[in-house]
Amino acid sequence: MKTTAQNLFDLSVTVNGTRYEQAVEPRTLLSDFLRHELGLTGTHVGCEHGVCGACTVLLNGESVRSCLMFAVQAHGREITTVEGLGTIEKLHPIQEAFHEAHGLQCGFCTPGILTTVVPFLEQNPHPSEEEIREAISGNVCRCTGYQHIVDAIKLASDRMNK
Amino acid sequence: MEKKLIGKRIVRNEDPRLLTGQAQFVDDVEIPGMLHAAFLRSDHAHARLSSLDVSAARRYPGVVAVFTAEDMGEDWSPGPPLVSPPPTVKDVVFHSRRQVPLVKDKVRHAGEAIALVIAESRYIAEDAVEEIELELEPLPAVLDLEKALEAESCLVHEDLESNLAARLFQKKGNYEAARKEAGLVVRRRIVIERGAAAAMENRGIVAHWDAKSQHLTMWDTTQAPIPIRNGTAARLGLSEHQVRVIAPFIGGGFGPKIMMFYPEEMLIPWVAMKLNRPIKWIEDRRENFYATTQERGQVHDVEIALSRDGQILGLKDDFLHDTGAYDPYGLTIPLNTQSHVMGGYDIKNFSSDFKVVFTNKTIVTPVRGAGRPQGIFIIERILDIAAAELGMDRVEIRKRNLIPPQAFPYQHEIIDQAFAPLILDSGNYKVVVDKALEMIGYEAFVKTEQPRLRKEGKYVGIGIAPFIETTGVGPYEGARVTIEASGKVNVATGIGTQGQGHFTSFAQIVAEQLGVKVSDVRIVTGDTAEFHWGTGTFASRGAVVAGNAVHAACTLVRKKVLKLASKVLEAPEGELELDNGLVRVADIPQKSIRLGELAMLANPLRGAVEPGTEPGLESTAYFGPQYGATAFGGHAMILELDPETMMVTIKRYVVAEDCGTVLNPLILEGQIHGGVSMGIGNSYYEKLHFDENGQLLNASFADYLLASSTEMPRVEVAHLETPSSLNELGSKGAGEAGAIPVPALFAQALENALHDRKLEILEMPLSPNRLFELIHAKETQ
Amino acid sequence: MRIQGEYTFDGPREAVWVLVRDPEVLASCLPGTQSVKKVGENKYSGEIQVRIGPITGVFAGDLFVTNEVPPASCTLTVEGKGKVGFLKGTGNIDMIDLGGNKTLMKFTGEVQIGGKVASVGQRLFDTVSRGMIKQGLDKLNEILQARIAEK
Repeated sequence: MKTTAQNLFDLSVTVNGTRYEQAVEPRTLLSDFLRHELGLTGTHVGCEHGVCGACTVLLNGESVRSCLMFAVQAHGREITTVEGLGTIEKLHPIQEAFHEAHGLQCGFCTPGILTTVVPFLEQNPHPSEEEIREAISGNVCRCTGYQHIVDAIKLASDRMNK
Repeated sequence: MEKKLIGKRIVRNEDPRLLTGQAQFVDDVEIPGMLHAAFLRSDHAHARLSSLDVSAARRYPGVVAVFTAEDMGEDWSPGPPLVSPPPTVKDVVFHSRRQVPLVKDKVRHAGEAIALVIAESRYIAEDAVEEIELELEPLPAVLDLEKALEAESCLVHEDLESNLAARLFQKKGNYEAARKEAGLVVRRRIVIERGAAAAMENRGIVAHWDAKSQHLTMWDTTQAPIPIRNGTAARLGLSEHQVRVIAPFIGGGFGPKIMMFYPEEMLIPWVAMKLNRPIKWIEDRRENFYATTQERGQVHDVEIALSRDGQILGLKDDFLHDTGAYDPYGLTIPLNTQSHVMGGYDIKNFSSDFKVVFTNKTIVTPVRGAGRPQGIFIIERILDIAAAELGMDRVEIRKRNLIPPQAFPYQHEIIDQAFAPLILDSGNYKVVVDKALEMIGYEAFVKTEQPRLRKEGKYVGIGIAPFIETTGVGPYEGARVTIEASGKVNVATGIGTQGQGHFTSFAQIVAEQLGVKVSDVRIVTGDTAEFHWGTGTFASRGAVVAGNAVHAACTLVRKKVLKLASKVLEAPEGELELDNGLVRVADIPQKSIRLGELAMLANPLRGAVEPGTEPGLESTAYFGPQYGATAFGGHAMILELDPETMMVTIKRYVVAEDCGTVLNPLILEGQIHGGVSMGIGNSYYEKLHFDENGQLLNASFADYLLASSTEMPRVEVAHLETPSSLNELGSKGAGEAGAIPVPALFAQALENALHDRKLEILEMPLSPNRLFELIHAKETQ
Repeated sequence: MRIQGEYTFDGPREAVWVLVRDPEVLASCLPGTQSVKKVGENKYSGEIQVRIGPITGVFAGDLFVTNEVPPASCTLTVEGKGKVGFLKGTGNIDMIDLGGNKTLMKFTGEVQIGGKVASVGQRLFDTVSRGMIKQGLDKLNEILQARIAEK
């Protein structure tokens, strides 16, 4: 990373498999960088202080809160956002399960929940309901009361590990 | 007609876009040349503006403009009144004081906007806000509802004689006479405090004025795009057709997103025109805690008169309602409380006097439930206390007083938010309550399970709370249904959607009538360019009012389809059926025509059509209910309290509800689950803490706690259907239902768990700390 | 919000009083204090940087000393504001000679905070203020020891 004339950092980061080289202000939050610099608006911001989990993305495969990180901290690393999980034509099995089990209503918190669940199911392919609830307890959803989200995650784990 | 799609668990059309990050929310709108807004807001709840110097902010690199109230000149004016007081009630007092775009002389709540900075980025705009020099002269904050009405209280609005914003008295029968006959009179003071709606998406606005086409486009997180369009046009001196308001995907509404007009909604489009640049403002979470409306603060003095055998003879409920610094939403919330405080009970004598009070707190407008949870809390609490005094079973006292099925339509007589005496259209309340009891296993739990657990030293409690919910109120909604040449159907309606699944439930209504696939129906909500008549999504009315408008428009289109197909297929209309995107002759399946082809025939490029023929297979229809449909339900729960930590674990939670014809049980259950989770928050986690100066002390999700997946129980739901006769579909609303009885239920179950302490819970929301205090206070009494 | 506490100095009451009434000494003790200057009889102006949880900000303000009864007691009034909010407070300080070269300082006060610092930092304010006072008084005691040693 080197500083340019206007005190910008030359950031190099791979997002959803695409490598981006971009000069950013050091104080730019990762969430703002993804949303407003790269146009990947699927990552949402709900509280700006790391509590609600809507802004969760995968950094080298692990869930992180993009509102609590500066973009420059992702330098040289790989990020996956919700846009990188599946497409409308070909949903990721977890996305598919959320669709079938009605695991979303307004859909604002959903990207953050999906990016929390992806590594969770990799580490724990056969979770109990209690473990599922524990895993998503850092993601706030105001619409669903969580029940259909829990059902969706259970459905996904059953399908993915058949 | 046998229903193929209505009432089915159909997965949602809108999901794939939301699941893949392809759904557009307001903050996702990017326009070249767009500038960003940030506000300077007051740190004080009540203060006079003594000096404001924005010159340093104006000079800040990257700042394009800074606006104060003074800079707005003649364009500065308060927002319009949203809802006027009921014209039909005698002696109603109502002082309308509406929110202002920017503070001119006096701050009336912490977080009120004082200046607006427009800059090249949000980061710069926020930096520049810090450069503004502001001097405020603090005044005593008006917070306590009773003290606010005392003669010596400081005034929120100095042009008024007192902090009384409104007053309304309603009665039915003769309470005083009933009281004289009573074998028992119980009187209590019950206090309910404020919570936040806390939608996951904060509010936001993008406004784009195109000077060359003289057209304003505004993306707004609103539940009511059409009134926002009309009001914006009026404020800016434009034709309504020069303004397009889009409410795209909205990250939850829950009421506050229908407050019209927020200061930001008045300012952002105005600035966009002024600077001729697109402007974006996105609220942050802390602003949301200060500047987005809240609800529930009330103080009740309730009195119930009963016979010794538990018959309610009369009810009196006088209460104070906190409206915050302004009262743009009129009397909707206290009227809802007043019309729900009798619950689903047959009460012949009723008297209620409410006073609405101005305070130095954020403005109050409906939040999911909108005054109803308070009403239900009051009646259910006082019934529990009365039952205890009479030595009567909690279930028995309720069943004895429920409105019997033969009494419908029931003349409730009290004027509700629709400004007409409420009529409860239909229902079978006892059956619903029995269903809830059966689901929770009430008898077995109370007789065997609970005594056993209590012997083990466990604090387990059970509760049951029935409730009514007035829904689906007028005035009207509309829809335009078009069969396109592709055979797909396009539907436009004027309401907004914040996650309720309208894109699917409305599509089911269409698919049912027109014989197409649900996925082939495109629903547009919340875009005034597509449909510009209507009011909005509130009062659990979307599925009822807009749903029936869609149904009515489909009926008309179906008629057009049959008429034309009859001609083309040379068969009588009665022999035609619509299925699988085709119109066919019932007995001769090979004799058919695709709907798309028919649509093309209905819109010919050459030749002549008969006089009076409308082109295309399209119809617009409106639906306005004679009066609102009233839903009913009963919730029951079993909880366990840890007496050491005061943490509550909900062991079981069941809901039996009757919201008439169910359109999509999957979506309906989702609505109920969500409502219950908000209700649990309202009961035990979510309270806005203000200090004695009106400072909000928990303005973040770290301190204001929303129920998470580990607090939420599994909610079992049963549907009973008493179709409403007020609309073709027979539907009643359900969007708010889940939240309404929860505090009443929670309090009852907690008291039951703590049966040996004889605790009376007379307030909401509670918290583990507060419960500890109450128990401690009881012990040291 | 109430602030209350006590602290025992290892020195005579008069010596403690001299230190407490010296703005420069106070500035060097209270963590985050960037400047203090005397602007009038019993009136001081200064700036202090405070960090409360997620909030960091500079408060600029005035300190007034009234009801002074040397070396036994006085009343302090503070008014400050900054980009993250405002702070107002009044407190009483009592110095009690415990004999044996020990002085007990008792303080009680009411503090009102507002703005961002109240809405997000309130939960931590109590802990932070207690920590700052403790740190400051420890430092003051150190200086006291140094002065006594000098003599």
